[in-house]
Amino acid sequence: MRRLLMFITLALLLTSTWLAFTVGEVVPSEDEKGVTVEKNILYVHVPSAICSTLCFLVLLLTSIAYLVNSKPIFDYIGAASAEAALVFTTVLNLTGCIFSRVFWGPWWTPTPRLLTSAILWFLAVAYLILRAGIQNQRHRARLCAVFGIIAFIDVPMVFISARMMRDMHPANVGFDTAWQGVSFGLSVLSILSLAALFIWLRTDILRSRAQLENEMYS
Amino acid sequence: MRYFWLSFKAIFIKDIVTELRAKQVLPTMIVLGMLIVWVMRIVSEASSLSTQMMGPAVLWIAFLFSGLQAQERAFATEEREDCISGLLLAPVDPGTIYIAKFLVNVIMLCVFEIVVVPVVFITFRVGVGDKWIEFITVLLLGNVAISSIGTLFSAMVQLSRSRGALLSILVLVILLPIMLPATFALLLIFGVIPEEFAGSGALAFVGDLKTALGYMIAFDAIFTVACWLLFGFVVQE
Amino acid sequence: MSQHQKEDSESTVIEIDSVSKAFAAKRVLSSVSLTLPAAQSLCLCGINGAGKTTLLRIISGLLHPDHGSVHLCGCNVSKEPEKTKPRMGVISHKSMVYPDLTVRENLNFFATLYGVKKRKNRIDQLTENIGLFPYRYEKAAVLSRGLLQRLAIARALVHQPALLLADEPFTGLDAEACKYLVSVLNAFTQQGGTIIMTTHDTNIGLRCCNRVVVLDGSRLIFDADTTDIDIDDFAQDYLSYARGAN
Repeated sequence: MRRLLMFITLALLLTSTWLAFTVGEVVPSEDEKGVTVEKNILYVHVPSAICSTLCFLVLLLTSIAYLVNSKPIFDYIGAASAEAALVFTTVLNLTGCIFSRVFWGPWWTPTPRLLTSAILWFLAVAYLILRAGIQNQRHRARLCAVFGIIAFIDVPMVFISARMMRDMHPANVGFDTAWQGVSFGLSVLSILSLAALFIWLRTDILRSRAQLENEMYS
Repeated sequence: MRYFWLSFKAIFIKDIVTELRAKQVLPTMIVLGMLIVWVMRIVSEASSLSTQMMGPAVLWIAFLFSGLQAQERAFATEEREDCISGLLLAPVDPGTIYIAKFLVNVIMLCVFEIVVVPVVFITFRVGVGDKWIEFITVLLLGNVAISSIGTLFSAMVQLSRSRGALLSILVLVILLPIMLPATFALLLIFGVIPEEFAGSGALAFVGDLKTALGYMIAFDAIFTVACWLLFGFVVQE
Repeated sequence: MSQHQKEDSESTVIEIDSVSKAFAAKRVLSSVSLTLPAAQSLCLCGINGAGKTTLLRIISGLLHPDHGSVHLCGCNVSKEPEKTKPRMGVISHKSMVYPDLTVRENLNFFATLYGVKKRKNRIDQLTENIGLFPYRYEKAAVLSRGLLQRLAIARALVHQPALLLADEPFTGLDAEACKYLVSVLNAFTQQGGTIIMTTHDTNIGLRCCNRVVVLDGSRLIFDADTTDIDIDDFAQDYLSYARGAN
């Protein structure tokens, strides 16, 4: 199953990349000469935003599941989701910085969406710092599950708070051609597939590491 | 209900008495808060920044970093001599422990503000005019925000034996969203932003005082309830 | 191992039924079963990591077993904590009292939490009995280790529990303080209370208990009345066993 997912992920990534550089390429308008590459960043930026929010949702669900029945697998999946959230929020912030630099001048400006992306990044980092600071497996799993729930409750508060600011960010993703839409859809699928694969692999690693620790210290 | 009230009162009074006797946290908070205010005043003078614009931001910075001292205290006393086990062995609901400690933290922050707010007024030359009620409301909502989250995370950090700046990181990250409406509310109350500009989009903030207060009330309500419900999972195995 | 007939259920204070607990892959307790009637004291022995403290934490309700149940005076400890917690007191090597509160204030605090009626009378009587009356207005932080242990005992007994759990209560105590604690524990059982105690010091433990069990490899491997065994021989054998295991 994992090999199948790897194959699917690779296929989606290659296809979406090829489409983005060919028929799906965003052509600049008259007054946007020279910004082709940056505007095509939306094929990475927006899927990363969707993916990181979904990773927080997975973290919420696994946190609740762990608090209900204390099965370690939920803790491992939650931790892996937080790591995936960190990866994709980093990509989100970096691509956002590039976009901001080209279109508005500064590398970063506190527009609602960039602010939201930054706070999501901090939430993922805080979860992982908390996790690293607790040695006892049971305590770690329980406390990280509690933080995971609080972090997810914070996500909509971040969105609402950020919407109270005037927004320079493009409101919606618009497509001029059908191929751009297809390309975008495939980008989203490929990023989600990549995240699923990442979470699966990391869960296995965390589970194996925990088993090894138990055997060493028992 | 009567039992809840008795155990809540016992824990609340115990925490207040302990703090008044130890005299550790409140003086530290006040001195730290005043130092932050003075350092920022020096910075604003050196860089010729508008003191009136900086006033609200400085108040929140002093409040946040000093407030974290209060949060750390909440469970530091319970860790000594394993008192938390003594509390959990008694027939007390963990939610009652949370509410008592949360209210103690709110009161300590109120005491802190009584001392430090006049210092901010004097050093940054700001005032609230006739908007005292709005000002106190904003400060109270801020106190509730930091106390609700800080009490829960203080238990997590103390009981997990983690040290260092972990509590600061966890609390500040969760509090980031409320900082924007909170600062804007103070800018309006201090009259730094004319009220006719509020909501017009002429500034970055597109709401008005009511929007900011509404957000803060919603934030406080949601997080206080969530932290209260989750507290039992933190202290009990 | 001696066989214990099951007492009538009315006089059974604590019933531990097939309790198992594992932490991650490590099994700490496997189907441990035990019953204790009123006015009996049990010494729970075992090397470090045998599961003694885990069993005590499960009995006290601080930990939930993976399987099995614990009943105190007929009530399930995990499911009915509001009924079982008022019936048990716990002493451990940490005093669980607040250093900045006085002796009276500490006892008043815990008496309030346990819903003790006529607290003032109860606290006065308790501090007199336990030798803390002259120190009742002193802060717990200034008390010596022996006096602090007396305060911990008072805290555990303020609500007149049916069961007393003592986790390594003799740790850090001098001979005088140990002797005093033994007298308190004996008085408690004479008044009808039940005690479960863990200790590394089998000499003292066996002399104030009338039953001894040994936990090893997550199971109970020995269970006998102290009147049926030679205490000195047992203490010697246990010491050799503990040294060998370490």
